[in-house]
Amino acid sequence: SAAAPRPWRLFGAMCLLRLPRITQPLEKEEEEMAALMEQIELEKSHYSDHEIRKLEEEEQLKRKKESLYDEDEARGKTVVMARDLEEKWEQKFLQFKAAPRITDADKSNDRTSLNRKLDSNLMLLVKQKIGNQELWLLPQAEWQPGETLRSTAERAMATFLGDHIQAKVLGNAPFGIYKYKFPRAIRTENNVGAKIFFFKAFLQSSDLSEAELKADYLWVTKKELGDYLKSEYLKKVNRFLLD
Amino acid sequence: RIGGSVSSHALCYFSSRSSWLPQGVPLRGSHWQSSLLEFRTSLPVRAQPKKKKKVDVKKEQAQKERMKKRLKKLEKAAPELIPIEDFITPLKYSESNRVRSLPPLSPEESERRVLLLKKWCLFKQKQDEAEKKAIKALVECQQEALKELRLESEELYQAAIRRDEALFPFQRDGPTYTPPLPGYDPPEGKCIDITKVYTQ
Repeated sequence: SAAAPRPWRLFGAMCLLRLPRITQPLEKEEEEMAALMEQIELEKSHYSDHEIRKLEEEEQLKRKKESLYDEDEARGKTVVMARDLEEKWEQKFLQFKAAPRITDADKSNDRTSLNRKLDSNLMLLVKQKIGNQELWLLPQAEWQPGETLRSTAERAMATFLGDHIQAKVLGNAPFGIYKYKFPRAIRTENNVGAKIFFFKAFLQSSDLSEAELKADYLWVTKKELGDYLKSEYLKKVNRFLLD
Repeated sequence: RIGGSVSSHALCYFSSRSSWLPQGVPLRGSHWQSSLLEFRTSLPVRAQPKKKKKVDVKKEQAQKERMKKRLKKLEKAAPELIPIEDFITPLKYSESNRVRSLPPLSPEESERRVLLLKKWCLFKQKQDEAEKKAIKALVECQQEALKELRLESEELYQAAIRRDEALFPFQRDGPTYTPPLPGYDPPEGKCIDITKVYTQ
């Protein structure tokens, strides 16, 4: 009810995830199994047109060496060997350089960059003032009457990243909760503590050049959260993160 | 036509009554008769096209019905099954020269394979169990959060458990092996589609 005083203050926080862009490296069993599957596929297969062509050309070469008479040259025809084609294709492939899986941001450990750790989820952390402390938190905002908690979380995201952020929020329901009581100094009957409801969203635009306005921010993986978040808060956050 | 024949009868009757006409001379039945020797050979030309139309219409209707019957028969026949190209091996791939010649598997190799398959089975089982456990933990965490929210405010709780219509259908490109190369210009080429399209 709106009239009764709430002893708990409500906050909506957004856990914004940048999803992985490259595949994670394979485990040992997965690699062994992949090699076995390839071998079995090769054993069960028949020769393809290209392989038959190669085999015939090998035989022709052998016959050419044994008999010194070259039929094809006598006919005045230049033959393109399958082997030469394969070499050509190999050369062309070697000329292509793919983008590296370990980026510069990885090497320099630049935690503000989105180009780091492309094979895992990155979460946004911002520095916010709670009471008289500056803490690293998932971006949060206080709930105001008239809005749902989801829109509180979206507002929190917008204050730190701007309005044009493209994120897909996963549903109307919160994923987790962290509640704490205020220190005795400021605790009153009507102001016992705060409840922070966490929402999850997937970041969809990869370009955030116009965003990142005010506060200090970081993009970190689940393992690195421990470096920044307080232990109780971290425990609750870890519960709803998969990795 | 009927009028013409009546008048001819009347005139013949009249002529037989009158005594001053010579008996051997044939009379014209009506002015439609062009020669004295013929009777009802050149009838009014207007009548004939009417007969033709009716017969034609009947013939045409009969033809249409025959066509319709044929069409119905064809439609009733079951539609031809479309062949699935992937399931039909072209004959040239079953020739004997295509069979690969490889050395047979040694017992050590087959042993290694069997053990690897067992290890894989265990690995996948553990992976699946871990996934299920993680999902269960997520759901529990969410239920707790919703319980706390309900304690706070019923209105917010109802807003939270409402279904989000904009969430599905959700589409996302999966991860690739290497990240996209910035400023990459793929080579020009034309793709000609030669798939056979079957209609029933």
